[in-house]
Amino acid sequence: MNQAPFSINDSALAVELSDVWKSFPGVTANAGVNLSVRTGSIHALLGENGAGKSTLMNILAGVYRPDSGELRIHGQSQQFRNPADALSAGIGMVHQEFRLIPSFSVAENVILGSAPRVLRTKQVELKVSELAERFGLKVDPSQPLWQLSMGERQKVEILKILWRNAQVLILDEPTTVLTPSEVDELGEILTKMADDGRSIIFISHKLHEVSGICDEATVLRQGKTVASALPIESTDQRELAQLMVGTSASTADRPEPNTPGAPVLKLNGLSTLGDRGLEAFSNLSFQVNAGEIIGIAGVAGNGQRELADVIAGLRPSTSGSLLMNDADITDASPQFRFRSGLAYIPEDRLGVGLAPRLSITDNAILRVYRQQRRGPFILAEKALAYCKDIVQRFGVRSADFNGPIAALSGGNLQRLLVGRELDGQPSVIVASQPTRGLDVQGVKAIQELLIEQRNSGVAVIMISEDLDELLTIADRLLVMESGIIRGEFDPRTASRDAVGIAMLSDGQAMTEI
Amino acid sequence: MRQPRLSLREQPLPGGQPLAFGAGLLIALIVGTLLLLAAGHDPLKIYSRMFEASLGDPDAWAKTINRAVPLGLAGLAVAVAGSMGLWNIGAEGQIMAGAIAAAWVARIGGDWPGIILISMMLIAAIGGGGVLALGPALARAKLGVNEIITTLMLNEVAIRLVQWLIHGPWKDPDSFNFPLAPMLPDQARLPTLFSRTHFGLLIAVAVIVIASVAVRYTAWGYELRIAGSSEATARYSGISLSKKILTVLVLSGAIAGLAGGIELTGTADRLTETISNGFGFAGIIVAALALMRPSGVAVVALLFGAVQIGGQSIQTLGVSSSVSTILQAFVLFGAIGAGVLSRYRIVLDANTRSIKKEMSDD
Repeated sequence: MNQAPFSINDSALAVELSDVWKSFPGVTANAGVNLSVRTGSIHALLGENGAGKSTLMNILAGVYRPDSGELRIHGQSQQFRNPADALSAGIGMVHQEFRLIPSFSVAENVILGSAPRVLRTKQVELKVSELAERFGLKVDPSQPLWQLSMGERQKVEILKILWRNAQVLILDEPTTVLTPSEVDELGEILTKMADDGRSIIFISHKLHEVSGICDEATVLRQGKTVASALPIESTDQRELAQLMVGTSASTADRPEPNTPGAPVLKLNGLSTLGDRGLEAFSNLSFQVNAGEIIGIAGVAGNGQRELADVIAGLRPSTSGSLLMNDADITDASPQFRFRSGLAYIPEDRLGVGLAPRLSITDNAILRVYRQQRRGPFILAEKALAYCKDIVQRFGVRSADFNGPIAALSGGNLQRLLVGRELDGQPSVIVASQPTRGLDVQGVKAIQELLIEQRNSGVAVIMISEDLDELLTIADRLLVMESGIIRGEFDPRTASRDAVGIAMLSDGQAMTEI
Repeated sequence: MRQPRLSLREQPLPGGQPLAFGAGLLIALIVGTLLLLAAGHDPLKIYSRMFEASLGDPDAWAKTINRAVPLGLAGLAVAVAGSMGLWNIGAEGQIMAGAIAAAWVARIGGDWPGIILISMMLIAAIGGGGVLALGPALARAKLGVNEIITTLMLNEVAIRLVQWLIHGPWKDPDSFNFPLAPMLPDQARLPTLFSRTHFGLLIAVAVIVIASVAVRYTAWGYELRIAGSSEATARYSGISLSKKILTVLVLSGAIAGLAGGIELTGTADRLTETISNGFGFAGIIVAALALMRPSGVAVVALLFGAVQIGGQSIQTLGVSSSVSTILQAFVLFGAIGAGVLSRYRIVLDANTRSIKKEMSDD
């Protein structure tokens, strides 16, 4: 193994980030963030999605460069130009998406990028297994990677950065791919590494896991540090939850209440699997009435995306049934669902709802092109007229109808997508993160469209990570966590605290309230 | 230390692909000049000869057009699959499969009237190419098997099949034991239009026009383009991806097969193992330069045909025909490079601080 190319000086702080700023076009992800991590500690970095955690860690790992701010590693000022720079300064990151080669063995994956010129397989495997044993990482170095579970692959990723002698390990939401027993095992491994003098930054939004594993916590909200280096043991989970979601009362105007009608969409014990084959949600039952907006709150990755896909017919359910207007649509095609009045505004606008390389007109007619044919041809004038109509009615600002859709801004993309979906006069709308990433005007426009639909008797399911938004416009609020509905709230009376706790903890924490 | 890197331009440079293609030709000419000078030839003389032989008079045009026909159809085959994001690397084999099927019709229909025989040969060629693409198409559509590998491997199968036929069952008894297939019947020859330009030109132009219109203006082509842009969007709107993949890959094979049939009835005397002559692989380049747009392949194929014919002609001046192959490669490099530079610009990294250096200063 290589020796660390630096000497650890007396500084007790492994990582010091001060006043870090980073903006991307349209968003400021980090607005003066501070973070201090003690050497040999496990430090939790908490925050809702979009709080700036990942951006900050990508800066620390050399993936992004900060606009301004100082970065000190073991007391030395550093500027990283790329991940290799960060690695040579002793910082390694395990990303959420693993970067491993399926056809290589565990040992080959571990030494990837730092392989010796002559590869003595047996010797390398021996060294890898020594390293693995030292930290209690149970993997077989000669096993091909594709045979490994997600949990085992994570261990390979950790080994990979240990092999490069990283002193600071960043784990980006490491528990999302793990089963509960694997989470416990990970905790033990991290403790061993901390005892060895390594520092670990653990990104998470699951409070109960953090309290079992981490020593200290820093909380980010809206790109700023709201609490730094809180000792976990003496901090109430409730307090952490409050710090993460904030207490600011929503100032937006609540729409006039509407009297909901009969149930339109019924979910009876629906279950499905996520992309990684683990259960995304199970035995989910609720119903949506005509003329109401039902808000699904929760931190991303707790089954909301899969829920939207199952309702839209893009992901098969494994059990249960789905009824729309009393017709069973559990196994119906997406097209049939749309024709029966189900509109879907997917989370990925460009890539699912819209085809990136095609023109604005081509995208506008996606739902109706089958009705605009003469023989095999799509009638160009009809398509263009339809596109113009959507563009005008929903205020899409665009110059060139035949230009590529990707040239539109986020707000205009969403107006076009929402307009196209609403034009089918749906009786149910599933809107997944419909206002995410939009500017104030865009958010308002989309919210108003959804409220207008509700008032005209449409059943709306709105999935959002923005709790304030849901508390403002939803008529009923369901909180989803780990694929389970953790609570139902009335947005008019619910306290933000109670909703926040339901969002961030599993059932155990709830019982304490 | 300043490091160059590519940075996306906010607006691509005007001119787009035609300009990039022109730049590619220019780069190829410059590199070719250096090569020719290094080999002791007079570049001006060589280039004028190439031009004369490929575009200088009607006979030269005929040669170029006859070459452009299989190149264009092979390019179209690749581009049709490419419109949906599929890679048909097997046009070479499908051309041979088409030629085999057409040759088989010629064997059984030796006494049929010309128009019927040729029509049947071309239909058989379409079928032959389609059949060879059917396996990869089914595997991709139903099992998700990567079509690049399967289509590529079937090229080898097709060429071995031709070799076996002309060494074995289809060997001409009058060939003094040479491995040659028998000559085609006289009436199996495509009629010529002008000079030696054969009727295949009209067929190729018609097929390219029909395919371009189909991809651009029909509901079928619309679904193809949606799926090519984003499979998730296709599923979202209820387009059946597996059906689409199946039809598109078989159609792509059929178009390549037609090229094989035309080549056999248009320019060859008999089925040979060089009947495809690398057209299938050149077709990939043609389609790439046409940005996978069916409407673009005709022009690219014509220019490519001219480069190939010109390259062959300079052999009589003592220049290796590899020069023309090298020129073709540089047209591709140049055009792709110019295409990239029209969308990106090169910036020198201003950050001069090197971490490693900083460390060693401690």
